[in-house]
Amino acid sequence: MIKLAGVSHRYNGSAALVDVSLEVAAGEKVVLLGANGTGKSTLLKILDGLIRPDRGLYTYKGEAIDPRRLRDPRLNRRFRAEVALLFQNPDAMLFNPTVYDEIAFGPRQLGLPDVDDRVRRWAERMRLTPQLERLPFSLSGGEKQKLALAALLAVGPRLLLLDEPAAALDPRSTGWLIDFLAELSITVITTTHNLSLAPELGSRALVLGEDHRLIHDGPIEDFLADQEKLLAANLVHSHRHRHGELEHRHFHTHDWE
Amino acid sequence: MKREHALLVLYLAAVIVTTVVHDPLSLGAGLVGLLLLAGRKAARLLARCLRVILVFNLAVSLGYLVLAHVHGFSPWETLLLINLRVLVLTLMSFLFIARVNLFRALDFSPTLTWLLGLAYSQALGFQRVHADFRLALSSRSIVRPGLRDRYRSSAAAAAWFMDKALATARESAHALRARGFFGD
Amino acid sequence: MHLPDGFLSPQTYLPAYALCAGLWWLGLRRLKAQLDVDTLPRLAVLTALAFVLMMLAMPLPGGSTVHAAGIALLAVNFGVWTAFLAISLVLAMQALLFGMGGITALAVNALAMGLMGSVAAWLAWHGLRSVSEVAALILAGWVSVALPALLIALILGIQPAIAHDAAGRPLFFPFDLSVTLPAVMIPHVLVGLGEGLLTWLGTATLQRLQARHAA
Repeated sequence: MIKLAGVSHRYNGSAALVDVSLEVAAGEKVVLLGANGTGKSTLLKILDGLIRPDRGLYTYKGEAIDPRRLRDPRLNRRFRAEVALLFQNPDAMLFNPTVYDEIAFGPRQLGLPDVDDRVRRWAERMRLTPQLERLPFSLSGGEKQKLALAALLAVGPRLLLLDEPAAALDPRSTGWLIDFLAELSITVITTTHNLSLAPELGSRALVLGEDHRLIHDGPIEDFLADQEKLLAANLVHSHRHRHGELEHRHFHTHDWE
Repeated sequence: MKREHALLVLYLAAVIVTTVVHDPLSLGAGLVGLLLLAGRKAARLLARCLRVILVFNLAVSLGYLVLAHVHGFSPWETLLLINLRVLVLTLMSFLFIARVNLFRALDFSPTLTWLLGLAYSQALGFQRVHADFRLALSSRSIVRPGLRDRYRSSAAAAAWFMDKALATARESAHALRARGFFGD
Repeated sequence: MHLPDGFLSPQTYLPAYALCAGLWWLGLRRLKAQLDVDTLPRLAVLTALAFVLMMLAMPLPGGSTVHAAGIALLAVNFGVWTAFLAISLVLAMQALLFGMGGITALAVNALAMGLMGSVAAWLAWHGLRSVSEVAALILAGWVSVALPALLIALILGIQPAIAHDAAGRPLFFPFDLSVTLPAVMIPHVLVGLGEGLLTWLGTATLQRLQARHAA
């Protein structure tokens, strides 16, 4: 479904991605791991056709995709009806006057006949039905994220890209998110830097190292068992702490960041 | 005098000199000197300069060419001088930004340094979010967004920035008070 | 609307800087005099706000966009001195930190947009608000763009006259008033309408937000 071949990109004068090649098949649930600043957001934006990589090629279902090519209205329509990106800051995605209009935006653009149905269904699923007439700006952070998700999914995409969806959520909402994503049957690529969350978000791990290259592409359990790779990715740390009476150091993460 | 202060003074002096020299040869020499100073980054800095000055300079140059054609005089010396001067000034500024820590150069005024520092870090954050608002509209638009949607996106962004600005002003003020900045 | 570098003669920008330096010193002293917890942080943050508002594209029919300035918005809601200092800081940031050029033109831009624009907006607002607040805000926005444009058109247009070589050829900006006045004024008269809209709707939003934050 997705293919990246030799993709490199510089952003603001420094490297964001270096020689990244990967393929993702339909239906996979993939976790994109990496410490902050390793290029995860950039990669997702390339996959959403928002950034044209300096080098390399991105193809979606065999068609080359980048912002310039998406100027073709037919390609844009085909692509955007199938691929959806949830930005790390959901505020940036919301601009319609009511929650209803926000969810209806995509389906209306597609000219679907059952807009009202879709809106109510997704609002119900996200438990936003009582807020339908409210201004999106007035919702809480978690509600805004659910709204953004509803607005994306109401269109019926085949590929969902999520940029650090759990970063600002409290534990209960995170649990909700994990359950929700598990129910989806479409292809999902989620980024996170939270190791304890990662296995819940997908079975396959793509890991970006601090050198902005892909240092792991395979089952997530294999990556979590590989201490060297974990260190190289700066996803674990070591500092003095206690278990019981004994003070010592070893590599670990903290369960809830 | 600290290194950064000296460089700031040097930069400002060089800017003034560039505007009192009217000989294209000297300006050309200045350009070469700056490029040599830039070293490995010369090509990239030059490209960035050209991108910044292109639209306005092209408009002015084309306009002047038309004027010259209509009135029957030769515009080339003037065009060379003007464009060269703009290029040298812009390159000089870019080089200054790349090499000198402005905050250290301005530390003779703590107020100014503090103001610029906070404004700059806020502005950088805003720049990123601004880019996200723009990209998010593209990302969600299955058909080309109409006037109303583009307007709504800009309006939502403006409201977001105003809200963040007010919140940040309050937080910074509290932080300052907590650190005893106001001695009360 | 920013004047880029290299088009103003030293006879223009050096006196402008001298004038500005005095006004900046005065403005900062005034602001510090009324120094409370909020003053300095608010100025810094409003600077960042003005910076990003200048980046915001206001869509026009036909697919093109124009950029706002937010000068009137600042002047009406926060006062002339704050607006002047904030705009000056934005120009300094753009020239010295963000690589957008404009170090020679900074003082002229600050005087035109920051000072003249703010004062014009403030006068329009206070002059008309008893008649109609909406009209006053729209007018404030419009003059905050149109009057600085006039000043800049004048300053640019006299460059060939005050800075030319022995043969009469211009050394900095090659067009005189007959070109600069229409070329600069016409687009800005239109941009001013968008700015008026921003000032009106922005003020309403700002006041609502301020009420929320004060609560």
